[in-house]
Parts: sequence; structure tokens; C-alpha cells
Amino acid sequence: MNIFVLNSARFVLFVLFQVLILNNLEPGLGLYAMIYPLFIFMLPFQMGTVPLMLTSFAFGLVIDSFSNTFGLHASSAVVMAFFRPIIFKWLSPRDGYDSVESVNVYSMGGRWFLYSYGTLLLIHHTWFFSIESFKLNEFIWILLKIGLSVPSSFLLSLLVQFIFISNKKAIR
Amino acid sequence: MRNLIAFFKRFQIFLVFVLLQIVALSAYVQYSDFARLQVFSSASRINGGLFEVRNSFTKHFNLEGTNRKLEWENARLREKLKISNYKIDRELIQIEDTNYRQQYLYMAAAVINNTYDKRNNYMTIDIGKNHGIRKGWGVISSKGVVGIVHLVGESYSVVKTILSKNINVDVSMRDGGAFGLLKWDGINPKICQISGISNDISIKKFTKVITRGGSGIYPKGIPVGVITKRKSIEGKPLWDLQVRIAEDFRTIQHVYVIKNVMLDELKELEGRIPPDKEEEDF
Repeated sequence: MNIFVLNSARFVLFVLFQVLILNNLEPGLGLYAMIYPLFIFMLPFQMGTVPLMLTSFAFGLVIDSFSNTFGLHASSAVVMAFFRPIIFKWLSPRDGYDSVESVNVYSMGGRWFLYSYGTLLLIHHTWFFSIESFKLNEFIWILLKIGLSVPSSFLLSLLVQFIFISNKKAIR
Repeated sequence: MRNLIAFFKRFQIFLVFVLLQIVALSAYVQYSDFARLQVFSSASRINGGLFEVRNSFTKHFNLEGTNRKLEWENARLREKLKISNYKIDRELIQIEDTNYRQQYLYMAAAVINNTYDKRNNYMTIDIGKNHGIRKGWGVISSKGVVGIVHLVGESYSVVKTILSKNINVDVSMRDGGAFGLLKWDGINPKICQISGISNDISIKKFTKVITRGGSGIYPKGIPVGVITKRKSIEGKPLWDLQVRIAEDFRTIQHVYVIKNVMLDELKELEGRIPPDKEEEDF
């Protein structure tokens, strides 16, 4: 499938999933599961950092428009896009990423996914919740939010990939 | 010049990053001043439309509870009707009501999107500029205070609920009349805080809290909640009061937007208070 069409379809689906379902799940204690970082994570390897950040900015702005956060999601998405190439470089396999076509759990292996996506998610969530509160005396509460939201977002992203990406196709 | 271009090329990524952050964060920090930003909120037509479609499915889930609430309210209003009162004066005196003038008008609205778990919580309602809504009007429900209209679109608007930073609703105790500002610390969507009440005023547990009506947004006496906990703040002569709020934001579906007919008069009058000059002298 054309990579542009694929990513545009993902764009819409991730927005709908985040906005219509996840934004309404509010189990308390500040747990806020986010699936949309996975979209930024799964954008093609070949993309330069600047187009990556611009795409993330537009994507975050769309999420913002539906959840009344006025630029908070856009800011966090840009932070994640900024750190993605750095983390990828840091965790790159011995023969580089040349042979890999798409970024997901199957093509890159579980351990690599845990480290790279986990780190990026931690950066993203830390930025998001810190800017959201922007008060030092709510520090412990922010930590609790991050500690609960990061694992749930991570598991959710893992689940989405297991369900929607077929194993055979990804390896080939 | 060549050096400058080389510099920009070298730090291109970081510069784009900083630029995008400035755009996003300035929008987040001072969103109320950005009139253009209404496009990027759920008050806009596309987003409001999408939420309305979703609401047309999900509103049925709470239908029973909503009906009970409305029935309860109907019953209460019916009690106030003329036909359910025993008439005492029997036409001896004809009262023409010139003593009372309508001050607050109410407009019913359906909640089509709502959060209660974020640091600032907003709800989208299905009336907007076309219905005459304006920014800054109060919003209540049949149970109590809900929030203040924050953004107005063509046919949707966004309400900032009392579960937000710096919402500062004017409230007072029903018994005793001590007044303070309602705040929310972002932790429990059922508990709000009141600040600014001096701790030499005795306040009992389970005192009812009502709106004070000071800023002309809400009428006086709209229920807010009940005091559940109080302790004094260390080092300050103030109470730290916890209020269990009357409205349950997890199931809210119908609200009323309040228009104060005399708001302009009130504002004009209060605007005439001269600013403190003594402070400037010091």
C-alpha cells in the first residue's frame, strides 16, 4: 500500500480512537491512556526530523481541538518527534535500520520496542503532565499520573499492534 | 551572512523545535486571548458535530438516571406553580407584579462532551452564538453550579467547569454567610476547596455552601455542595475547607445557561470604584 495513504488512514483512525474512546475513559487517579504517540512512533524511518515534527504538530493540534487542551497535545507531540531520532540512533542495531521498512513490535523485536517506545512515552507523558499542571507543589500528584499513565498507554499500544498488524506481513 | 546561514542550517532542527513549542505553548498558556483559537476547540462546527453524533448514541446509556433527575426537578417546579398553591387573598387585592422584575433567564442545553479527570475540565454544550450565548455566562444544572461559558462557536460552546485551575467561583456558607472562592486542586472530581475564609469564623461540618451572587454570574443561593472537612492552614490564619460538590460530573447530561439581564449595569457600577491610590504611593 502506498505509504502516504497508509499513514493518512492511520492519522484519522488514531484521532478517532483517542478522541471518541480514550478521552472518555476516566477511571480516576489521573490515569489518562494515550494511543496517539504510537502514530508518531510508527511514522516511516526515512522521515527527517523537521517533517516529523511538523506532522506531529499538526496531529497534536487535531487532538487538541477535540479535547479542549489548546496546544498542550501539540507541544507534547513535537517533543516526542524531536526525541525520536535521538532515541533511535541510541538504540540502533548493528546493521542499522536499512533493512527495516516499518516500525513496529514485529519488525524490531520486543526488547527494542520496550526500550525505545517506553523511553519516548515517558518523555512525552512527563512533558504533558508537567505543562498541564505547571505547579511545583503538585509534584507528587504529577508523578502518580505519569506512573499510572505510562504503563497503561504502553500496554494499549502493544495491544493495538498485536491486533491490527499481521505478523507475516511485517516480517516480509 | 554566510556564517549566519551556516548557523541556521546546523541548528535547523532545534530551531524548528523551539518555534513549534513557542506556537503551541503560547496558545496553551494564553488561550483565552486568542480569538482565532476557537477554530481549534470543540466549539467549532466539525468537532461539535462529531461529538453530537457520538452523544446521540451514548446519551441513552444514562437515560434512566437523567429521567429521574428531570422528574425530581419537575416535581419541585410543579410545587411552585400557582395551581398547586391554596390562594389566600381570594381576589380581594389584585397584585400586579411591579415589585419583581426578571433578572436571570435560563436556557436549557444538552452536554455533548465532558471530561472530569484532567487538570482543566471542559464540557461542550449544543447551543452557541446562534442562540445568543456569550462568553462569561454562568452554567448550572438541576443539582448545582457547573461552570462558566468559556468559548462560543456558531452553534456549540465550551464551558469551563468548576473542576479547573483558577475558576474562582464566588461562594458563601448558607448559615453564617462567610464567603470565599471555590478552587479545585485537580485530585478528586467530587471534592473542591474553598480558600480565603479566616479561621476565626466558626464553620461546622456539613454546612451547605451556596453561590454568593457577587459577580453577577449566578443568582444568589444556587447550591454548590457541603463542607466535609476543615483544618487550618499552617502559618496562615485561614481555613482549608473541603467541599463535596453537589453535581456529579461523571453523569451530567443537561445544563442551564444563565443570562443576567442586569450584568452590564452591575459591571458599569463596579467599574466606577476608583482604584486604590494608597498602594501606589508606597
